[in-house]
Amino acid sequence: MRDDDRWGHLPDEELVQRSRAGDEAAFGVLVERHHPVVYRMALSMVSDADLAFDVTQEAFVKAFVALGRFRGDAAFKTWLLSIAANEARGTLRKRARRREQSLEVVGPVVDGGRDPEEQALERTEAERVRRLIQLLPEKQRLSVSLRVEEGMSFKEIGVAIGSSEGAARVNYFHGIRHLRELME
Amino acid sequence: MKDMQCADAREWIPLLASTELDPSVRQEAEAHVAACADCRREADLVALLMATRSEPPAGLSDSIRVAVGRGRRARSRPWWGFSAAAVAVLALGIGVLSSRDVSPIAVPVYAADTGEGGLWLSEDGLVAGAPALDGLSDEALEQLLSDLGSGGAA
Repeated sequence: MRDDDRWGHLPDEELVQRSRAGDEAAFGVLVERHHPVVYRMALSMVSDADLAFDVTQEAFVKAFVALGRFRGDAAFKTWLLSIAANEARGTLRKRARRREQSLEVVGPVVDGGRDPEEQALERTEAERVRRLIQLLPEKQRLSVSLRVEEGMSFKEIGVAIGSSEGAARVNYFHGIRHLRELME
Repeated sequence: MKDMQCADAREWIPLLASTELDPSVRQEAEAHVAACADCRREADLVALLMATRSEPPAGLSDSIRVAVGRGRRARSRPWWGFSAAAVAVLALGIGVLSSRDVSPIAVPVYAADTGEGGLWLSEDGLVAGAPALDGLSDEALEQLLSDLGSGGAA
């Protein structure tokens, strides 16, 4: 019997308790339940599928290690997302350092604009909106993604991205307005 | 009044697809969106975002489980395992240094070919020339300690 079938009905709190007791299968259900949202958030931050894969994996490993310190003040999902956000920021910092180093070696890169083929490929509105959302500042982008794609409350979003509930709300509305302007 | 209605509707537009939204709130929000062109454009944008959200690659959850299991097993190695490994490295070093006048040295089967036979602390903190103890089972480690105690310096 699959772990999801056996424990898929259990709430996160109980799965966390079992996981703390060393039950890897219970943690596996949490992985199955939450890896899509963690992956999407990571992808929204690092804009690279391979990096998002690594960030997601590392976030779960770190969460499992830190389960003993999880006090349950926030929901497991938002706590996990805050770990993933930190992991993604660390990954971005490392990538920026590597880029700086390689730029020192290679010299300045001249931006010749977007490739015409790439522009031709981006024919649909779907492709356009995915590119434009990447232009939003990080907290606006995350607030929009977590609200729209995950249906999270502003309080949950605030915990996940490390801001207040009010700031998450403002970031969401600014982000949506900004995105609408970019689309029009 | 219209602004207030728009502000309320925009609060709920992202949740219109959610089953958790209160039915009466949903009905009001949907009615507002149907009547308000500006909110309808926002609802269309939200629907577009929702329809194009990324899905995780196949194999990600399995990969996470493997990584978590590997991390757990590495952490759950008994403390005396590390201590025994440290003692074994130390004993091996002492054995090698103190047995210069004794030949031949009985080299345990666990010891890797150390080439020059010296102990060097490399940049990454690994002791070069020491046998790889990390992969030894508890039984093999005990056997190694036993061999070192009885035969290594004899």
